[in-house]
Amino acid sequence: MLYDVRLTLHYNYAASVHGDRHHVRVLPASLPGIQRVIAASLSFDPEPAETGAFVDFFGNAVSTICYRSRHGHLDVRLAARINVEERVADADLSPPIQALREEIARLWSLSGDSPHHFLSPSPRVAIAPDVTAYARQSLLRTNSVQAACMDLCLTIHRDFAYDKHATRVDTLSGEAFALRRGVCQDFSHVMIAGLRGLGIPAGYVSGFLRTIPPKGRPRLEGADAMHAWVRAWCGKAVGWVEFDPTNAMMAGPDHIVIGYGRDYADISPIVGVLRTSGGHDTTQSVDVVRVE
Amino acid sequence: MEKRNQRRTPRPVAGPSLITGYQLLEGVPDEMIDPAGNIRPGWSTLMTAFDRLGPAELPQRFERAEQYLRDAGVFYRKYDGAETNERAWPLAHVPLLIDESEWMLISHGLTQRVELLEKILADIYGEGKLVSQGLLPPELIARNSEFLRPMVGIKPVSGHFLHFCAFELGRGPNGGWWVLGDRTQAPSGAGFALENRVATTRALPDIYGQMNVHRLAGFFRAFRDTLNAQARGRDGRVGILTPGQHNETYFEHAYIARYLGFMLLEGEDLVVEDGQVMVRTVSGLMPLGVLWRRLDGAFADPLELRSDSRIGTPGLTEALRQGSLSMVNALGSGILETRALAAFLPRLSRALLGEPLELPAIATWWCGQEKEREHVIAHLDRMMIGPALSSTLAIDDPQGTRLGSTFDPAQREAVIAAIRDKGGDFVGQEPVRLSTAPVYVAGRLEPRPITLRVYAARTEAGWTIMPGGFARVGYGLDTAAIAMQRGGQAADVWVVSSRPVEQVTLLPQDGEKLVRTPAGALPSRAADNLIWLGRYAERVEATIRILRAYNARYAEVSNTALPILADTRTYLRPLGVDAKQALPVGLLSAIDSAVRSASQIRDRFSPDGWLALNDLQKTAHAFATRVKSGDDATRAMTVLLRKLAGFSGLVHENMYRFAGWRFLEIGRRLERGVQLARITAWMTRPGAPDGALDMLLEIGDSVMTHRRRYSVSAGRLSYLDLLVLDPLNPRSVIFQVADLKAQLETLPGGIEDGILSPATKAALELHTELVIATAEDMDGPRLKRLSGDFSRLAGLIADAYFV
Repeated sequence: MLYDVRLTLHYNYAASVHGDRHHVRVLPASLPGIQRVIAASLSFDPEPAETGAFVDFFGNAVSTICYRSRHGHLDVRLAARINVEERVADADLSPPIQALREEIARLWSLSGDSPHHFLSPSPRVAIAPDVTAYARQSLLRTNSVQAACMDLCLTIHRDFAYDKHATRVDTLSGEAFALRRGVCQDFSHVMIAGLRGLGIPAGYVSGFLRTIPPKGRPRLEGADAMHAWVRAWCGKAVGWVEFDPTNAMMAGPDHIVIGYGRDYADISPIVGVLRTSGGHDTTQSVDVVRVE
Repeated sequence: MEKRNQRRTPRPVAGPSLITGYQLLEGVPDEMIDPAGNIRPGWSTLMTAFDRLGPAELPQRFERAEQYLRDAGVFYRKYDGAETNERAWPLAHVPLLIDESEWMLISHGLTQRVELLEKILADIYGEGKLVSQGLLPPELIARNSEFLRPMVGIKPVSGHFLHFCAFELGRGPNGGWWVLGDRTQAPSGAGFALENRVATTRALPDIYGQMNVHRLAGFFRAFRDTLNAQARGRDGRVGILTPGQHNETYFEHAYIARYLGFMLLEGEDLVVEDGQVMVRTVSGLMPLGVLWRRLDGAFADPLELRSDSRIGTPGLTEALRQGSLSMVNALGSGILETRALAAFLPRLSRALLGEPLELPAIATWWCGQEKEREHVIAHLDRMMIGPALSSTLAIDDPQGTRLGSTFDPAQREAVIAAIRDKGGDFVGQEPVRLSTAPVYVAGRLEPRPITLRVYAARTEAGWTIMPGGFARVGYGLDTAAIAMQRGGQAADVWVVSSRPVEQVTLLPQDGEKLVRTPAGALPSRAADNLIWLGRYAERVEATIRILRAYNARYAEVSNTALPILADTRTYLRPLGVDAKQALPVGLLSAIDSAVRSASQIRDRFSPDGWLALNDLQKTAHAFATRVKSGDDATRAMTVLLRKLAGFSGLVHENMYRFAGWRFLEIGRRLERGVQLARITAWMTRPGAPDGALDMLLEIGDSVMTHRRRYSVSAGRLSYLDLLVLDPLNPRSVIFQVADLKAQLETLPGGIEDGILSPATKAALELHTELVIATAEDMDGPRLKRLSGDFSRLAGLIADAYFV
């Protein structure tokens, strides 16, 4: 399936800033068997004094920008065309949880997608007894790791309310769990916390989602936002499997991946350091249009 | 339970009497007395010399060392929960002697060890073969907060990850030295080792001179030259990155920076431009070639590492990625301090170096592996159980690390369950027993447990080990655990040779090329602090002078209602000074502020200046508890004024006329200008009480001059002429402006291609106005505006150099 993605991130600073430096992670990834980027362009306004790029530990493309002179706003614009493959749903070949631990122990690797990185607490995700206990129910109801993940994905979707006003961009997993509400980022953090508590490696996926319009109604331009979901390592035979607790589904042809991290902090669209006396407003607009 | 140490007495030795009564601990090796009960050769020389000094002089000699440390202001910070306080450096007076031949073994073993550590670190942040070949469990690294993922794949531009390391050593019951821990993150204490040496040799210069003790300077010199060469190769400078004055070893950072001639920098002094790390200086941005960091790697860059760090520099990681800076040590090197890593070193040594470790480390078992876990559980009573990923040494970790034999049955069960459930979180280590060495306590020698801290530096000729350093000396007799933070002491370590040793200093030698560091590398933050130091010192002086004049008058009349006294109180009140207090709180806090500003730039002026300022602070606070208003306070103010003049004199006479001195001078002139303009406006205003003009003259220290110059026509105008417009009076307003103008012209950017900076221009304008003005022009409104003119000037200077 061919998509055109357009993203604008707009920051308006209350007091003008300078000497600020940012890392931008919004370019979709090329992933063999999942998706291929045909063309992508990223632009900034105002024009940065310095630009650069590198690939981070988890394999994500990072664009770096830096400003020297004063500016009152920052716009990040992405335009990309991506071909997303139809993901073939394999039969569940994942092991039971005890066998998963042994498989992990036999995995002598520290590469960016090694499950070892995704078992411990990370900046935004704590492992807490209440979240672990909540997730354990999913384990008890199923008999494979992948089935447990899907069960937790559905449970969270059932128990949590989607609420744009309940949480902030820096809300931690524990707080969202207590509230039982939040946005895609919170749903994902809670699921990751639960899986790690059970010893299942789990990470954060940042990306775009095509919103399927209701029958007979036109697609709402600009209504979509950047999306997040979860990936879990379900054993050597299956590897990483992606779950979307916000939509109670596995990631499929409607999901476009930007990149991976342990949690939001590793793969947030933009992270910057600036000195300012005032705050800032942020607006975001995303269009994911199917081309054919 | 720990077995109580038994005492035994060494065999009586002919000669030294100080050691009679030195009671050894049963089964514990001692540094001075060999297992047969005989005194070792070097020690016998030392003890004979102590005896020769006699029981009266020896303590006096030791007091000299204490005096030196007090004079040099050597301190460290101690954390007590939320509070931190400065502690005097706890020097144990008797040096620890180690024979050269034994030191060679240590030195050789540590060189092997640090080369192994370099290879391990290079692999962890490079190819990752140790993990893929099954030599290092991935869990130990992936779960480690010192594993800095952004550093993976970044090759250090120097070709090396490690440049400066320290090791903690102890002598085990079998008599050999053991490595208790590796310090690879940002080891502290090398500066204290130097201070230990200076203090000890102040006390015992004759003995030190006759004992063939290896010098420390050569070690520092080689490291300094190596870093300078690296920095020059990259067209930059060497900086020491400190977390700031609240760090427990900030004194040492400043000390080392001054000793080696490196810039002392904080994160906010640095900025990254086009991948190059630059220092914000008063002359603009200057490239940095080498950064010797004294903060934990994770805090170095809030953009890519810990985002909550307030002491880092955004973009530092990027600069390292682009290879424009050499970092000492590489960010991420703290991972080598992980306690559980010790379990794998013997195997890694054979795999990477093809040889066994020369110096053994304390046996360690990581419970993340089944066989090791069961071994630890089976021998729990003979194990120290601690957190696997901790970088704190077991001997420094009384809370986190427990001896298995001290658990009660319930605890024991819980610990075993925890180890079975989360083995990866635990290590078992064999308990550390240490040797003892003599300390001097109330006229006698007593044995205390010791550990050695040894430093290694990478130089152009390879690794070099500091010959000596410092020993940590335990507080009590328990040889099982010691900790500096629990009140131990530090001793100088003398590596004693049988032959004369090479004399080394850091001063240039014959035939050595003289390299003069280019001027102007003054970090903006330091310049800002210097200005404030100058301002506070001057504010203190102005306040003291007013208070002295006030108390002298009060002493005569003992009536606070006298108009001139009431009027002076009214003047002082908005400045936060209550003249009814003999030593007003407002004055004390201005003194404290001066000390605080000075403490942030300890590397910029001499220990004498620092001590003079500290002396002023101590005296003022002592006075505050007992001085009474009137005569007593007048005398106290005179004492404080003299002490302040001592500080100003030391700075003025001894400080090199660099940009730094200029900023200090600018601060003084700005503040004196403000103070003079204010008090002159106040005391010459219409309706000022009787005696105001005389008091003004006294405050302005111009009584004599006034009498000489205006003996006939004294009046309001003559006072104004002398205190505002007389260019030869160092306490006139115009004198301050003239000096400010001269300083600003000399500063970087003050005048460029004939064009004046805004600050220089403003100083010139004010100066010109005062040059052509007459005393009649200095009416009330103009005088009132004068202090504002100085404040505006201060603002323009800040804009030019600190933003």
